[in-house]
Amino acid sequence: MAQQLQSINLVAPAFKGVNTEDSPLAQDPSFAEIADNAVIDKRGRIAARKGHTVVTTNKTVLGTDSLRSIKEYKDNAGNTKIFSVGNNKIISGTTTLADETPGGYSISANDWKIVNFNDHMFFFQRGYEPLIYSNHVGSVEALSSHPHATGVASTMYGHEVLAAYGRLWTADFSTNKSTIYWSDLLDGAAWSGGSSGNIDVSKVWPDGYDEIVALAAHNGLLIIFGKHSIIVYDGATSPASMTLSDTVAGIGCVNRDTVQYTGTDVLFLSHTGLKSFGRTIQEKSMPISSLSGNITKDIIAALQNETEFFRSVYSPEEGFYLLTFTGQDVTYCFDVRGTLENGSYRVTRWPSTKFTSFTRLEDGTLHIGTTDGISTYTGYSDNGSGYRFKYYSPSLTFGDSSRVKILKKLKPTLVGANNATVFLKWAYDFETTYATAEFTVGNQITGFYGESEYTTVEFTAGQLTNARVLNTTGYGTSVQVGLESEIDGFALSLQEINVMALIGKLL
Amino acid sequence: MAGPIVTGNTTSTTEESSGGFLDMLGGLGSYLMQPDVLLPGVVGGLLTGEAYGRLSDIGRQARTGAEELAATQLEQTQFRPFTVTTATGAGMGTRVTPEGGIETTMGLSPEEVALQQQLMGGAGGFFGQAVQPREDREQAIFERMRRAQRPEEERQRLALEERLAGQGRLGVSSAAYGGATPEMLAMATAQEEARNRAMLGAMQQAQAEQMQQAQLGQAFLGAGYVPQQQLMAATQPAQQLAALQQQAQLQGAGLFGEATMSGLEAQLVAEQARANLLGQTGAGLLSGALTPRSTGNSSLISALGSIFGQGGS
Repeated sequence: MAQQLQSINLVAPAFKGVNTEDSPLAQDPSFAEIADNAVIDKRGRIAARKGHTVVTTNKTVLGTDSLRSIKEYKDNAGNTKIFSVGNNKIISGTTTLADETPGGYSISANDWKIVNFNDHMFFFQRGYEPLIYSNHVGSVEALSSHPHATGVASTMYGHEVLAAYGRLWTADFSTNKSTIYWSDLLDGAAWSGGSSGNIDVSKVWPDGYDEIVALAAHNGLLIIFGKHSIIVYDGATSPASMTLSDTVAGIGCVNRDTVQYTGTDVLFLSHTGLKSFGRTIQEKSMPISSLSGNITKDIIAALQNETEFFRSVYSPEEGFYLLTFTGQDVTYCFDVRGTLENGSYRVTRWPSTKFTSFTRLEDGTLHIGTTDGISTYTGYSDNGSGYRFKYYSPSLTFGDSSRVKILKKLKPTLVGANNATVFLKWAYDFETTYATAEFTVGNQITGFYGESEYTTVEFTAGQLTNARVLNTTGYGTSVQVGLESEIDGFALSLQEINVMALIGKLL
Repeated sequence: MAGPIVTGNTTSTTEESSGGFLDMLGGLGSYLMQPDVLLPGVVGGLLTGEAYGRLSDIGRQARTGAEELAATQLEQTQFRPFTVTTATGAGMGTRVTPEGGIETTMGLSPEEVALQQQLMGGAGGFFGQAVQPREDREQAIFERMRRAQRPEEERQRLALEERLAGQGRLGVSSAAYGGATPEMLAMATAQEEARNRAMLGAMQQAQAEQMQQAQLGQAFLGAGYVPQQQLMAATQPAQQLAALQQQAQLQGAGLFGEATMSGLEAQLVAEQARANLLGQTGAGLLSGALTPRSTGNSSLISALGSIFGQGGS
């Protein structure tokens, strides 16, 4: 007697992002084994990320190097200017990159951190005299050359700089990893006299020794990130009187450039994954606070293999926190709109993007630095080139791993992906060789009422929805389903995948 | 003019007198050679001469007696040395030197000498300390005060250090607070104030001690003279007794002198009376011999009268 097909509907597959921590067999189908170049879209579906459009047309000063940092200067008068660093230069501009390196100032590294503070922009990198730009001077200059600079000495050539509580704070020096210097009030160029000062936290580390990696300001607190511990000072508005508020042992920060503010929290990358400061303080470094709990091993592996820079950005408009390991050319995208049951963010992976720096402008525009110069995170191609969107489900057992499943049909429902070629893949029993079914999404030009083509073509809905039924082959106790598509010009969201299978005999 | 007239008169008078005197001497001689005149006259003259001689002897005897009296009284009033010995063994002695001066010697008992030397030595020590420069003493007092303050300061420093360490602020250095924390600056200020107070206190203490050393030296010096003063005080009764003795000696010498002088005076009066009596007798005899009688010796009487009673006539 013929058996009835059993339908397993994967609604909003990968809604919970990638999970490489749990056993594939026990996983919720809402997780994904792979979600490359994907984001969780506004409807909670896995979708292709946006691409980037290069706005730079003249990158002579950058040469073949990539932009390592981008920052927008903005003063109270409304003057703005985009600065970036790369090719051992200080660069300004977006379309035409201009060398702003001060004359006679030699640079051989590009790991600058740039901050805005009180109508001035400051560039800090370990071992280099800080640089400063202001509209009233009109050019980048060495800090000691600035008109109201005081106390500029090699002892304060820090790698980390923070603009907070009316001062600049700097730390992580070549030979001193435990001292933080702060500038005079409202004057980032004054490092002596006034209310400037410093604090040596070498005796404060909760486990005896650590090195300052990053600084952050949150909720009236000065947060000092060590490599494997955190110190929190209260009352940093009056640094001479600020007092130790809390310490956290076992969690530190890997790199200053992983620290991002989300408005209500501070995100940072520790050696065990992405962490949230608020949760860390509340839970005293309990493991469950890890925001990257679903990819912990992947993050740790990436950390261990990283030889270059870490770059990150928080975009409230896109609702994500991007973390790039530039040496491995991989970016993890954490959806910060909510956390899962285990406290983790939904995460996807963006491989081979060549992104090397980010910045978010005041208007919400996300600028990306690459070897091509400055790009804008927009559109659905990487500067005219496609990129591969991948989704692979965890191994599905349909509730009974002891019985054979014989896939009959796969019915994916896609949104968008106009004229894209879609590859639907499946494999049994953890095989890495997938069977593939290919189809092309129909070309549908969106016609809007009242626009030019309304009179000649039929107007359509805003988004193209495409549902296909594909016959499948083979059998096994567990099934993994995947979908790949080259994104080149159009968005793609995976609404659902309906798996039709016969449940076979017991093995 | 009157001159020539007077001169002429004088010359004239002198010539008349010269001739009269020679005549008178001739008449006197003849008169004295008369027996009733000559014998009483000689006896009277002898008696008168005897009286005159006795009066002269009386003067010599009085002078000799007075000199003897003075010598006796000088001996009687001579200073008589004495000695005083106190109950503590100190002593004072007096003696008259061969030159006539009075020499006083004082001596303390060995115990008193030892005490005096001790006190004098102490006074010297105190005065020596009083004249020393104060800087070293100020520094010594300051160090002593600081030694007393340091333990508490150290405790406070440790407490602050622990508090700052607890607050994670041990390494804070702020330019606004002299390169430290507000608490550290406050503590350093307080400690500096304490140091300043200690310094000023040390200066005042050194001054007070200097004054005290001087006063102690003064006191020791005064006390060093106490045995001597007590010896002097102990000699007061003896000196009074000596004075009384001297007074009695002087009084006795006075009485002796007065008595002796009374005897001499009485002897002088008696001798003077005898001389006067003898003189009166002689004078009577002479008067009788030279008194003019009716037999005509008026010229002698006149002559004697002109000799002895010139002016009396």
